[in-house]
Amino acid sequence: MDLNITQKVMLDTLRLDEVVEFAENPEPRCPCVLLLDTSGSMQGEKIESLNQGLLSLKDELVKNPLAARRVEVAIITFDTNINIVQDFVTADQFNPPILTAQGLTTMGAGIHKALDIIQERKFQYRSHGIAYYRPWVFMITDGEPQGELEHVVDQAAFRLQEDEANKRVAFFTVGVENANMDRLNQIAVRTPLKLKGLNFIEMFVWLSASMSAVSHSQIDEQVALPPIGWGSI
Amino acid sequence: MDTPQQTPKWRIVAASACGTSHLKNNQLCQDAHHWEILPDNILVAAVADGAGSASQGKIGAMIAVETAVENISLQGPTPRKIQDDTQLYQLLQEAVVAAKKAVENEASACNHQPHDLATTLIVMVATPEVVAVAQIGDGVAVAKDLNDNLRSLTMPENGEYINETTFLTSPNALDTVQFNLWREEIANVAVLTDGLQMLALNLVLGEPHKPFFSPLFNFAMKAENPTVAKEQLSKFLGSERITQRTDDDLTLIIGVFGTMGIGNNLLQT
Repeated sequence: MDLNITQKVMLDTLRLDEVVEFAENPEPRCPCVLLLDTSGSMQGEKIESLNQGLLSLKDELVKNPLAARRVEVAIITFDTNINIVQDFVTADQFNPPILTAQGLTTMGAGIHKALDIIQERKFQYRSHGIAYYRPWVFMITDGEPQGELEHVVDQAAFRLQEDEANKRVAFFTVGVENANMDRLNQIAVRTPLKLKGLNFIEMFVWLSASMSAVSHSQIDEQVALPPIGWGSI
Repeated sequence: MDTPQQTPKWRIVAASACGTSHLKNNQLCQDAHHWEILPDNILVAAVADGAGSASQGKIGAMIAVETAVENISLQGPTPRKIQDDTQLYQLLQEAVVAAKKAVENEASACNHQPHDLATTLIVMVATPEVVAVAQIGDGVAVAKDLNDNLRSLTMPENGEYINETTFLTSPNALDTVQFNLWREEIANVAVLTDGLQMLALNLVLGEPHKPFFSPLFNFAMKAENPTVAKEQLSKFLGSERITQRTDDDLTLIIGVFGTMGIGNNLLQT
């Protein structure tokens, strides 16, 4: 008799696990645009370190199964031209590009492009019933806007301020070596961070951990981000 | 020996399980649930999900569910009162207001800000003739009638971003309450927090996913021993199949109304 009861209990538990079917909903997405300076001054060690950093971003993101399915990466480079090097792709599908550096620093146009593709992406999410987190832009530069009209930069800064105020985006700025931190501070809303040396790998490991934290967050506006060891204000 | 000639009654199976992300960080389960069966087959059930960002979210959630259920119980709802839509809504409205007040009082008594105890809240009153729900924030309440129609009474309330919602302690909370009721011959009800909503709802269609709920209702119908059933449900909520899909806290209250004849059980396979 006792044996029968045990068997029955085991069977029921097993069955619940087997018979309950789950709805197939698309994973919520956590979009992140990397807005990268590929102007001439980035040549050499800097661009190589940046390329290494991108590889570590991919490696770190895929270590976390939920983040690998939820975090979407896009890469825009700005030099004399603006290029979408990588359109939004989930981390598990992301193949880091090898970037080269040349030309001027059309940062204002780059910021516009980043905000544009975020707006489009949100529209796509909504039309496919995909839930999403607040998009991040991570801009990395070793200089300041150069080679474009001043009002393009002003407009970009103004638009960025509006988008931050309306919580449309969270925009982070990282200055490398000789970056004009004062100028960057005028453009960005959040205080730009200065990268220590060429510590791109540590920075991207941090970015991965932060995006993972965000992509796991539930009904929780304030996500505690890991401490920043790779930069300073 | 049980005879098949029993009077029908509510049978409840309910459990909260800690999400794997909280386990990893040594955090408490921030969900809470509570229920009570009042005279005349009136079921009162509540679930709450304390905000991860709130330091005392768990406490907020516990106070919210206990206050809401107790408040309704003290209001002493009668079948007559429940026949009237306005009075039924009032019953729920008062429970939500009481829960909000209790959470805010606890916050001030412990020198916390109300948002430190931020929590969502779903309160349900169900009888075999009607089910009514009030909800602040996300999560969902569903019901099934005797004709096998499954319906969600509420929908998760999110802002633009999936990790934003309204809480009981939000300044505009009482303006955002979703109220709904369904007068039908009610067979089954379920209330769940947001950790399960991706699995239990088809979010594109905005409908409950029948293959999720039906086996759970069957399970609750057949459950003979409440303690064992609760354990089984907890085990299911902690099973790999679920934790692969979500790392959030999970809460589920299942209520089924009917008789539990043993012969009946064997037929239902």
